[in-house]
Parts: sequence; structure tokens; C-alpha cells
Amino acid sequence: MMMLLEATSRNAAVARHSHSATFRNAETQTLHQRTATTNTTMLAALRSRSLPLSSSSSSSLLQQWKLGLPVALSTFAGRGLLDLQEVEKVLSDVKADDVKVIPADKHCEWADFMVLATGRSTWHVKNIAQALIYKSKQKQQGAERLVLPSVEGQEGGKWIVIDSGKVIVHALDENARAYYNLEALWTSKKSEKETLEDLDKAFVKIRPKNNSKRKPTTKRA
Amino acid sequence: MIQPQTHLNVADNSGARELMCIRIIGASNRRYAHIGDIIVAVIKEAVPNTPLERSEVVRAVIVRTCKELKRDNGMIIRYDDNAAVVIDQEGNPKGTRIFGAIARELRQLNFTKIVSLAPEVL
Repeated sequence: MMMLLEATSRNAAVARHSHSATFRNAETQTLHQRTATTNTTMLAALRSRSLPLSSSSSSSLLQQWKLGLPVALSTFAGRGLLDLQEVEKVLSDVKADDVKVIPADKHCEWADFMVLATGRSTWHVKNIAQALIYKSKQKQQGAERLVLPSVEGQEGGKWIVIDSGKVIVHALDENARAYYNLEALWTSKKSEKETLEDLDKAFVKIRPKNNSKRKPTTKRA
Repeated sequence: MIQPQTHLNVADNSGARELMCIRIIGASNRRYAHIGDIIVAVIKEAVPNTPLERSEVVRAVIVRTCKELKRDNGMIIRYDDNAAVVIDQEGNPKGTRIFGAIARELRQLNFTKIVSLAPEVL
């Protein structure tokens, strides 16, 4: 079972690549061959997914399987995409205000770090995005084909998202940052999980009451 | 499969509650919209005292469909409802939070903003 899951995880990674437009041509052919052979293993994996996650080893494997995208990006296209240090350096060079790095592992499995940065004007926000793209272009100088991060919201300049695989940079206007309040969204998730743990503790505390009810039965015996 | 006259739920806190598709943006005579497509819609029902009102025309991105979504690895995703997220002309979401699970495909279709607001990504 473990072997099958590993095979499918690799397969999922290939599928992700074919989605990202840059590798479409090269990967789709191999993908078709592999999907034919691993269709049966896919079924097995899905079945195991529907079962409750009893053992920790299987759950970690499943996580790897879900994590197809970031793992694949790190191995295959990691050269072109920006690291956290590089992003931070670029942001300090363009004088972005209030840079915040939030590790997003707990919030979502599709990215490692969310980086928030504020620009003073729409021009400044656009410049932040341009600087990051320029940096990734410089990094790949001389390469046969460039892998550029996908940029969203370049026209407006209120909220630009630069998606470079593991690190996702949000460059926002001051107003937009206050409106969307992204820090609260990604940091409050942890507190919710804590409350769930508290709930578990609360249930544990109820147990002694039940024991007290049992006492009269033991006395009768 | 969203076509004109289809009613959709709203998966964000923009203030709209129900939308009706009136046009699919893309080709001139496109029949159906799927997950990740932009539609023009009318607000059929809205929460009182919010910026969005009934019978207003807005743009929206489809995030959930009852019609199943197939992936290259053989996975099929099908939701219980048709749902959309209201966006403005620039592509920024009108609401600040998104509810419910959302497909990973939206990230590849350049809706990273919506994906990053979503509580769960399938």
C-alpha cells in the first residue's frame, strides 16, 4: 500500500506540472503514459483516502500526495523561482513598508510562506511587483527558458499577488491592506485550532462526573 | 455547467446572497461556464444594509459547480451547490472572506487572491 501511494504522489506531481503552462509540452506525453499504467493505483489511493486516517504514517504519505505542487516545484523549477531571503531583500530594496512574513503551513498546504508588503501608492505597489519579476529574470540569466512567477492584479495596483511557487507575495495598497486584513485571516486560524484543543480538554473534564455516577453501582455489588 | 438564467450561491461576505448568471465572458457565443470562469450576474437577493443591492449587475468567478470537475490524475470533484465569488473589474474580490472549499485549479487560472482567502483548498 505504501508503495502504491508513493507512485501516485509522483503521478500527481507530474499532473501539476502539466497545469503550469511552462512545462505543458514536455510533460503531457509522459503523463498520458503514466496515467494509463497507474489508474488502478489511483483507485487504491482514493479508497485509502476515504478511510479514516488511523495510522500516522499513512496520513503523512497522503499529505505528501496532496502536496504534489510545492514538492514538484522545489525540485523541478526551483532554480527560477524566488526564495524567501531574495524576496525579503528585494522588498527592502524597493522600500516596501510593513513587510510581514507569515508561515502558512497550518493555514494551507499549497504554499509555505505568505509575504505581505504595503506600498505607498499604486505606482509603488506596481514597482514592488516589477522589482520581484526583474529579480527572478536576473536570477535565470542565460537559461534556455525563463520561468517567471505568475502575477495577478497588475493593472489595478491595489492588490498585486506574485505567486512564485512556495513563497507568495502580496503587495497591497494601504487601504486594501486594512480592508482585507489578511494578517488576521492567517494568524487567527491557529487560535481556532487551539480552541478545538480546549474543547477536547473540556470533554475530558466531564469524565469524572460519570465516574461518580458509577459509584452507587459498585456499592450494590 | 453555468449558463444564463442559472442561479448561484455567493461564497463570500460581499453582501450578495444569490446571483443569476446573465452572460459568460469569453467567446461570443459560449454556452456553459465552469469553475474558474468569469460571468456577469445579477444580484437576486442581498443582505440588507450592505454596499451591494438587489438587481445590481456584477462580475463573479465561479468557484463551485455541481457538474464534476475532472483532473488529469483521474480525480473528480463535484460540489453540492453552484457558487461564485463577486469580483470587481480589476479582479479584486468585493468581499474580504470566502466560505467553503475551493478547487486548486483556481490558482492556475490566476485567481490566487481568491485561493489565498479561502479556508480550504481541495
